[in-house]
Amino acid sequence: MLNRLVRWSRIKSPWILHLNSGACNACDIEIVAALTPRFDVERFGVLLKATPRHADVIVATGPVTRQIKDRIIRIYEQTPDPKFVIAVGACAMSGCVYRGAYNIMGGLDQVIPVNVYVPGCPARPDAILDGVVKLLGKL
Amino acid sequence: MTDLDIIEITQSRLGDKAAEIANPAPRRIFITVEPQNLVAVVDGLKKEIGLWYLAAISGVDLGDHFEILYHFGHDNGSLTVRTRIPRAQPQVESLSPVIPGAVLYERELQDMFGIIINHIPDARPLVLPDGWPAGNFPLRKDWTHERTPEIIPGGKK
Amino acid sequence: MKFTIPIGPQHPALKEPISLRMTVEGEVIRDADIRLGYNHRGLEKLAEQKNWIQNIYLTERICGICSHSHATCYVQGVEKLMEIEAPKRGLYIRYLVAELERIHSHLLWLGVAGHEAGFDSFFMYTWRDREVVMDLLEMISGNRVHYAINTLGGVRRDLDEGQIKKILDGLVVLKKRSEYYFKLAVSEPTFVARLAGVGFLSKESAMELCAVGPTARASNVPRDVRKDDPHAVYDEVPFEVCTADSCDVLGRAVVRIKELFESYKISEFLVKNLPPGEIAVKAPKKAKPNEVLSRYEAPRGENTHYIKSNGTDKPERLKVRAPTLANYPATVVMLKNGFIADIPLIFAAIDPCICCAERTVALVEARTGEEKIVSFSALRSLARRGGHHLASKRNAVWPF
Repeated sequence: MLNRLVRWSRIKSPWILHLNSGACNACDIEIVAALTPRFDVERFGVLLKATPRHADVIVATGPVTRQIKDRIIRIYEQTPDPKFVIAVGACAMSGCVYRGAYNIMGGLDQVIPVNVYVPGCPARPDAILDGVVKLLGKL
Repeated sequence: MTDLDIIEITQSRLGDKAAEIANPAPRRIFITVEPQNLVAVVDGLKKEIGLWYLAAISGVDLGDHFEILYHFGHDNGSLTVRTRIPRAQPQVESLSPVIPGAVLYERELQDMFGIIINHIPDARPLVLPDGWPAGNFPLRKDWTHERTPEIIPGGKK
Repeated sequence: MKFTIPIGPQHPALKEPISLRMTVEGEVIRDADIRLGYNHRGLEKLAEQKNWIQNIYLTERICGICSHSHATCYVQGVEKLMEIEAPKRGLYIRYLVAELERIHSHLLWLGVAGHEAGFDSFFMYTWRDREVVMDLLEMISGNRVHYAINTLGGVRRDLDEGQIKKILDGLVVLKKRSEYYFKLAVSEPTFVARLAGVGFLSKESAMELCAVGPTARASNVPRDVRKDDPHAVYDEVPFEVCTADSCDVLGRAVVRIKELFESYKISEFLVKNLPPGEIAVKAPKKAKPNEVLSRYEAPRGENTHYIKSNGTDKPERLKVRAPTLANYPATVVMLKNGFIADIPLIFAAIDPCICCAERTVALVEARTGEEKIVSFSALRSLARRGGHHLASKRNAVWPF
């Protein structure tokens, strides 16, 4: 009974942690623009949180550089279960234009397991919202 | 000051140290110097023309020597000082006593090309990651790397 | 007691991974150090393996906020290497998109500054109006960011009558709303008092450390590449270089607001005087061996690209120096002898575009050498409450 209540509250209002792993910033500005009055993701109860310990969903952008690889794994381990990862943008999916550079490992799924991929360069705020809603539908 | 004014002042005051002065396009001047005269020429330009703004330092790998370009900007265009150093002994003096803002650009040059900058105030690596193996200088022409094989989750091995 | 506090690389205040190390004594910062490298993507090596056209799309993605400035700087340089000249109409459209990008970047910065100082409704207002500019850019080029409207020899898409009318209407709406906000900010004395006196950088320091952009112009150093080295249309367009002389974060905000109004004027001039004709000329595949230095005024400062060609269809060397890297030594000087509570404001005041020049920030405790991790949200809430011990600046005046 308590499990069902907790699960319902997680679906109704997921708390998000925004992680930038070496991106060009375009996808990050679109994520923050999703909070502004035009797209307004806070009406769904989604809050942008500061620390991994409070978050349910990690929204990550950017191709993974060698320097930040360990930090990403540490942040993933600090997030409490159950957790989900959304990879936003073409860079997080496979590296976009940076494939083959010496400091890039590839997409985000080389480092942590990913649940939802949102394509685009950069992904529009509507597409990011769509990705979050599809994730909630799967739970 | 127009291009011609600057070329005249440079030739008259610093003519013995500046090997070659070129003006390939409007508002662009290129001066070639020997590496041992570099700091003296920049100091001279700072006093004569009032040149204080260093925009960037670029390094180019030309095979058997490196070429280092110091790009300056002034009120009416830009002026570049270039120098060549042999690949076998890549060393050059630091500009930071004359232009304190040059430290970061010189650190990047050390990282990327392996050029040793003498008397640099801060010699830590700038952009390369912590675990980078020493002796690997990415922007040299003969440096290549192996791409790590990718694992596609749930896909073909 | 001196303490070392590392901050980063992941924190919510700044959208990019940076790691600062600061030596603090009580509340006062004694020394600061920045670790770069989290965002280093090895771009210069990658550019040597792609041809001239592919590199346009690569340089665009150096940064998401100033993407057109990197692409324009690159294309300007390559056009000089190939000795081709874009037609007038193409140049006007290219620099119109550049000024619209400057408008969107300054509105973004104003929102971020308001958010760091605790004025969240200002953040929501300016980002809502940023959407007006994003719609105009989407109408002109097809995408909200990464417009890809540049090509070697001109631009790729043309403007027609209906679009021109919409741009002029949009500019009128933006001008009216901008004037309303700046009256709003005047009537908010805590906002002005929070920004005044923070992050002091004298004129001599700015010149010694080679600072660029609004950071330098707020210390009364009148350096603007659009005036010093006018490229293409800027010698025909009337505008002024905006400076302020208070040398602090309030001065930088004032400079950016003045530049916003100048950009409205420039965009209107460019749209009203758009000459007829072609928008692009054909460009060759290879370039003769030559070298070129290309400079451009991005919203954050001066962008410098050095390109060298060797007769093939790939560049021999592409060197990019982004404006935030040039402002970093000035930031260290600004942080010394400031308060911990001012860190988010000072850092936001240089308008960091870390992806342009990767950095990290960590705080180091001086006496014992220990490292303590302080979450940035704690720092930020400190920044918002911090206005109380700056009581001396209560009667700072909005200089308009």
